[in-house]
Amino acid sequence: MVRFGTRGRLVMLAAALLLTIQGIALATPSVAQDRPTLRFGVNAADLSTLDPHFASGTQDRTAVDMIFNALVRFAPGDATRIEPDIATEIPEPVMDGDSQVWTFTLRDDVMCQPWEGGEAYTLTADDVVASLEKSANPDTSAYAGDYAGWSFAKVDDATVSITLESAVSPTLFLPKVANYNGGFIVCAQAYEAIGAEGFTTAPVGTGPFMVGEYVPQTSLSLVANDSYFRGAPQLAGVELRYMPDAASRELALQSGELDVIHGIGEAQWVDRINAEGNMVAEVFGPGEVAFLNLNVEHEILSDPLVRQAILHAIDLEEHQALYGSPVAEIVYSIVPATFMPGGLTQEEAEAAGVLVTYDPDRSRELLAEAGYPDGFSISVVTSEMPAYRANYEVLQAELADVGIDLQVEVVDHATMHAQIREDVNPIVVYVANRPNADLFLTQFFHSNSIVVTGASPVTNFSHYAAIDGLIEQARAETDPDAQADLWKQANIQLQTDVAGIPLHYQLQVYARSPNVNYGHELVSVLALYPGINETTTITSS
Amino acid sequence: MLKHIIRRLLLAIPTLLAVFTVIFIIVRVAPGDPATAVLGDNASQQAVESLRERMGLNEPLWKQYVTFLGDLARGDLGDSLKTSQPVWNQIRSALPHTLELTAAAIIIGLVVGIPIGIITAVRRNQWPDYLGRVVSLLGLSFPAFYLGILLMYFFAVRLNWLPAVGAPAFSDPAANLKHLILPAITLGLIEIAYISRMTRSAMIAVLTDDYIRTARAKGLQERAVLLKHALRAGLLPVVSLVGIFVISLIGSSVLVEEVFARPGLGKLMVGATKQKDYTSLQSIMVVYAFIIVIVNLLTDIVYTWVDPRVKYT
Repeated sequence: MVRFGTRGRLVMLAAALLLTIQGIALATPSVAQDRPTLRFGVNAADLSTLDPHFASGTQDRTAVDMIFNALVRFAPGDATRIEPDIATEIPEPVMDGDSQVWTFTLRDDVMCQPWEGGEAYTLTADDVVASLEKSANPDTSAYAGDYAGWSFAKVDDATVSITLESAVSPTLFLPKVANYNGGFIVCAQAYEAIGAEGFTTAPVGTGPFMVGEYVPQTSLSLVANDSYFRGAPQLAGVELRYMPDAASRELALQSGELDVIHGIGEAQWVDRINAEGNMVAEVFGPGEVAFLNLNVEHEILSDPLVRQAILHAIDLEEHQALYGSPVAEIVYSIVPATFMPGGLTQEEAEAAGVLVTYDPDRSRELLAEAGYPDGFSISVVTSEMPAYRANYEVLQAELADVGIDLQVEVVDHATMHAQIREDVNPIVVYVANRPNADLFLTQFFHSNSIVVTGASPVTNFSHYAAIDGLIEQARAETDPDAQADLWKQANIQLQTDVAGIPLHYQLQVYARSPNVNYGHELVSVLALYPGINETTTITSS
Repeated sequence: MLKHIIRRLLLAIPTLLAVFTVIFIIVRVAPGDPATAVLGDNASQQAVESLRERMGLNEPLWKQYVTFLGDLARGDLGDSLKTSQPVWNQIRSALPHTLELTAAAIIIGLVVGIPIGIITAVRRNQWPDYLGRVVSLLGLSFPAFYLGILLMYFFAVRLNWLPAVGAPAFSDPAANLKHLILPAITLGLIEIAYISRMTRSAMIAVLTDDYIRTARAKGLQERAVLLKHALRAGLLPVVSLVGIFVISLIGSSVLVEEVFARPGLGKLMVGATKQKDYTSLQSIMVVYAFIIVIVNLLTDIVYTWVDPRVKYT
């Protein structure tokens, strides 16, 4: 008989204990254990809100996109295509007098996620109507203006009708009921139970992932919603870690502690990451357009010759070089033709005579002609964010070359936004992404949107009012091709008048472990992240 | 002693009140609109106004101030403007991580810095002194964020010995400790530099005192002279400065928390500042003010314990 000493008995006891623990662990069935959790380094200090109807920062849109659905959705990885989401199909509109009616039939297998104190339940037309009414209410949505003149009604439990006071094209209608901004559908019972404030960190939707744990300034854990109507996610969850430091994100990806990170929007960075071999950097759309707004009512800039002089002082390649190709590309109208109808291609801009041509000699001649042979001086404020500050710095050098002294004061981002809305800058650099041409043109160039003095001020910094008719005509046009032509005319007009000068668009840059497969091709994602859903997987290396 | 502590606590009340008032004013005169920061740059004016109303930002300043003081008196730090969560919950989850990091850095600083200070003082103007001074100079010259990135690169990416980012919950002490090592060394190296220089200066002054000469003349061993007689007196200035180091470490831990993506009070404050989260920001500053008062009080008590000559009346 073999006898064990004290040490031997202790070793055996420890081994037995370990085996027991492992045995228990192996015997416990857990779907989540079989699946990996995707760890995502987000470029932000924290989330702001997970109420989809207030979410506007990329860090919020990223989470919201995984939690919620909409009647229709932008195809995963390709925002240029729209397909049904919780609706069974995309309906054709019918006219009822002057009104336009869109009737959606809902899928019968869409489940609202469970929440603390509430069980999962089947989504019905009541939820959809309540959600859209929330989107249209300025007290409960930042996007209420998109739904002015819209009304919503339940036809039956599986049918919802949306009535518009005046007809619009599918190009304008569908994005507003898609998975972006006010189009996200919240579960009404949960919203009522949790309340508006609670919903900012514990929202309830129908998407492939639901909120697990939120640690302020640190992380948000999303867990798989196995009742998701398209099937259980292949990931156990997604952990969003808030890491504003780019170097830390990169090192954590490199060391294998993260699977996906928000990258740096520079071509050099993309090349460097791809050269490492154990990481993949990807560049995708949509592009955020950087453009200039020139105040046409400013005492100096009101002279079209001065604005023409500024136009000819600009070297688009210098602005594009801030980020480099393929991260940034030159754009030929403020509505980017690459991503949406209504924008101008290089050929169209050239044919219309609105191509931005760098000609500093011509610029100086125009300034002399306008009565400023020695130039003039103007002051602006800029955000500390590189996308703004760097463009202002290049502009400052370009204008100095023709004799214009541009004084640039750097303030924090929120302050810049507040001040430019108070009409402080005669020239505004703006970097924007909007889902369609109507929003671009309405918010930046319709007279109602003029800052401070407009009927409903938004971001018309140029005080421009010459294309109101074209914008409104395009909005009412139901034929998509005719509508796109009207938007193009509007672009040509505002560029002819030099109320706005397009500079470049900047694409999204993310990096991932080679083991991550998003489950779709990466062309463009409106939420400005790679798009993670039930098909996303991580394979073991 | 007890009377002294009570008097110090009572004196802290007007100090804290003045600090709270300054905090309230600073937070409100800072540029930028919190409602715009919450809603983003494409929100309509109507939506921004509606949110301002709900946030109570349209109330007169004096009313906001009275509400602020009243809430503080009740121990209510308010809810975050951004997330609507109680600020205290955020502070409660972040503070232990900052205290843990600060304590680890101070321990590293004391355990390594004091011996270096003693050796460089005893071997003054010899090679160990030169080496120690170069090391401390390097510690003072390296920015924390740069040092942190370098350590992460070597130990997490290249050698794969330690994790690069994050801070697991305290319920998993092994993982928590593993994640603490690199950030603690980053901060600790700076503390080593301060403490070794301080110890060196103090020891050099003490070692020339008459009573040390007397101890040596009595034939005491050098080890006993150093550790029993010189060190206790030499540590007095270090003790009084450790309190200040703790306070400054809590503040300067923000960079390390940012680089190592650790939760913490500093990270919380920077986030609140960026997001114009008034209530979070002012509440975090209030907690800082309390910590400073408490650390100063503790320093006084420890000082009395280390140096029996110090008496409070």
